[in-house]
Amino acid sequence: MAKVIEIKDVNTNFYTYEGIIKALDSVSLTIDHGSTFGLVGESGCGKSVTARSIMRIVQEPGKIESGKILFYPDPNKNGEGVDLLQKPESYMRDLRGDKISMIFQEPNSALNPIFTIGFQISESLLFHRKKELCQSVVDDLGKTGNGLFIPLSALLKKIYEIGARNPEALLLGLFSRIPILKRWDRLLKKKALNRSIELIDDLGIPNPQEVVKLYPHNLSGGMKQRVVIAIALACHPVLLIADEATSNLDVTIQAQILNLLKELKKKEISSVLLITHDLGVVAHTCDRVGVMYAGQLCEVADVRDIFENPRHPYTSALLGSVPKLLQKKTLQSIEGNVPNLVNPPEGCRFHPRCQYKTDICSEKAPPMEEVGTNHSVACYHHLSG
Amino acid sequence: MASYILRRLFFLIFVLFGISVIVFGIMMSFGPERRAAAYITTPQQINAIPEIIKTYGLDDPFVIQYVRWIKEISKGNFGWSRYGAMPVWDALLTYLPITIELNLFAAPLTIILGIWLGTRAGIHKNTFIDHVTRITSVIGWSLPTFLFGLILLMVFYGLTQWFPPGVLDDKFIREIIQHPDRFTAYTGMYTVDGILNNRWDITLNALRHLVLPVMTQVVVVVAVLVRVMRSSMIEEMSKEFVLTARAKGASERTVNLLHVKKNALIPAVTVAGWLVALSLQGSIAVEIIFNRPGIGQWTAASAIALEMAPVMGMCVFLAIVYLTTNLIIDILYAVIDPRIRLE
Repeated sequence: MAKVIEIKDVNTNFYTYEGIIKALDSVSLTIDHGSTFGLVGESGCGKSVTARSIMRIVQEPGKIESGKILFYPDPNKNGEGVDLLQKPESYMRDLRGDKISMIFQEPNSALNPIFTIGFQISESLLFHRKKELCQSVVDDLGKTGNGLFIPLSALLKKIYEIGARNPEALLLGLFSRIPILKRWDRLLKKKALNRSIELIDDLGIPNPQEVVKLYPHNLSGGMKQRVVIAIALACHPVLLIADEATSNLDVTIQAQILNLLKELKKKEISSVLLITHDLGVVAHTCDRVGVMYAGQLCEVADVRDIFENPRHPYTSALLGSVPKLLQKKTLQSIEGNVPNLVNPPEGCRFHPRCQYKTDICSEKAPPMEEVGTNHSVACYHHLSG
Repeated sequence: MASYILRRLFFLIFVLFGISVIVFGIMMSFGPERRAAAYITTPQQINAIPEIIKTYGLDDPFVIQYVRWIKEISKGNFGWSRYGAMPVWDALLTYLPITIELNLFAAPLTIILGIWLGTRAGIHKNTFIDHVTRITSVIGWSLPTFLFGLILLMVFYGLTQWFPPGVLDDKFIREIIQHPDRFTAYTGMYTVDGILNNRWDITLNALRHLVLPVMTQVVVVVAVLVRVMRSSMIEEMSKEFVLTARAKGASERTVNLLHVKKNALIPAVTVAGWLVALSLQGSIAVEIIFNRPGIGQWTAASAIALEMAPVMGMCVFLAIVYLTTNLIIDILYAVIDPRIRLE
């Protein structure tokens, strides 16, 4: 299957006062077109940093040190991927929100409190779809009887034709500074707003015409999360990253959002990187799963294999710590704590908590090894299937 | 919105009543003799004190004296200012324009400069720009006003004669006094009156006199606003919606100057409003050093001489200033932040 993104040996560090936090240590993973990849692990194991590294929006004081993030935008054209880490910021700006977009964890803080919902969704369209929007305004103006004063309508049409040819034209910037023509983009904004209304209507938000005029604090958590999803979906991304998209919602809303994502994946988006610490969500939605521990990827496999046949001791322990409905025994937890990433343990980072450890575990980090079909694991003593 | 403003203005009456009772109460804590002393001008009049107390009813009960005072105020009689040698109301009209004129230029400059510098310092946190801005503003803040004013005066007047102190050149003052029919004092501010009388030379001259005091005022006050704006920018920049905006494809400029700055303005507006209200009571140091007979000088002199009437008048005036500023800040809040609704 064609790849959509291939991450190779990415290292991301955070430079804090306590020292350098090695948040990602040689993480490599591949996501295929049309698949849903689940990334699981405890809090602070580097899941979100992986997502942010892909989009290159790691916040201060974080820095992507090395590695390659190869992006293949078109599934039919197999060839060299684009290394996102080598591209200039302007390229990334055009990519973010258009080809790759992201849903954030906390809908309450992911939206800007002082802008309307409509503005926040249309913004994304105005960044990436200005050309198409201008063209459709031109088409509208071409039709007669739009109620505008005729010479003005002709002038506006001219302006939008410039926009349809080159949305970054200097002339448009100039128009925005001339007092009367300053508001030339009103039709454009209206167009974008109408698109936003359609978009949130599709996501099942009742009363979309009214909702776009509201502010985030007027909406409930589930509605806000739908708005966040609408922002991410506005330009039909090739890769959608859902960073704990449902973690802070209650179970019914969570199920709604997950089903929504599943449905959307069929129609609109190509592939999803789903970040979560909830194994139930993984079982429900993912095709492939990557398990992370302390900034390293320790096991990657198809979703059935992970649940039926976990090979890494950590994966197996993680699965053991999930409560089951008919459970009789006490719930198992993993002994010890997540290591401090300023001074991670030598060798395999899981060894201090691992019951299968031997001397080699604390000396050399185990390499990623293929142990079955599409199943790789980084462990010297991987559990037999 | 309109009903909210009306309601706030209505409540202003009660707040003013409260303030007047408190101010009057403090004044009443001085004995009748002490207050009667304000009426005498020569040592011979000392014997007249009991008589003065009787005539003015200074030993009457609190309520009676208070009602009498309110009655006089409602007639527009705020009492007599001995320092100004005129009624308090006239003194206010004479001295206030000079303070307002200074702040007319200093306040917008402070707000624009403070917000601009604070924003830049916040965006470029811990870089050269940030350090320079912070160090300069801290120096400006910690330099005593009188010292900074004197240095400016020494350089720009003592050495170069560019920007003289005072309000207007003597030749213009003489002209205005000699020909009162040619120059009408509409506002009491020479810069504005000059334009209204079509005397641009007077406006320009008045502006020349304003340069140094405005500079002093701005440098001393702006640091507070810079610091608030900077820290507010830094706080907002770490919020999650910034990531959302960046993930949408917004440029660094859009993120910082639209998404972050608008949020960061909310605390800055409070501080800015507070600074303006504070400067309206007149900076005594600036007024004395640059020889501008403003309201600060007048209040200080009146308070030292224990002149009750001007001090009380000033208290009521300042109460009105602070209350209106608060109202304006609250309205601005609602304009910037949709979460705040005025009801």
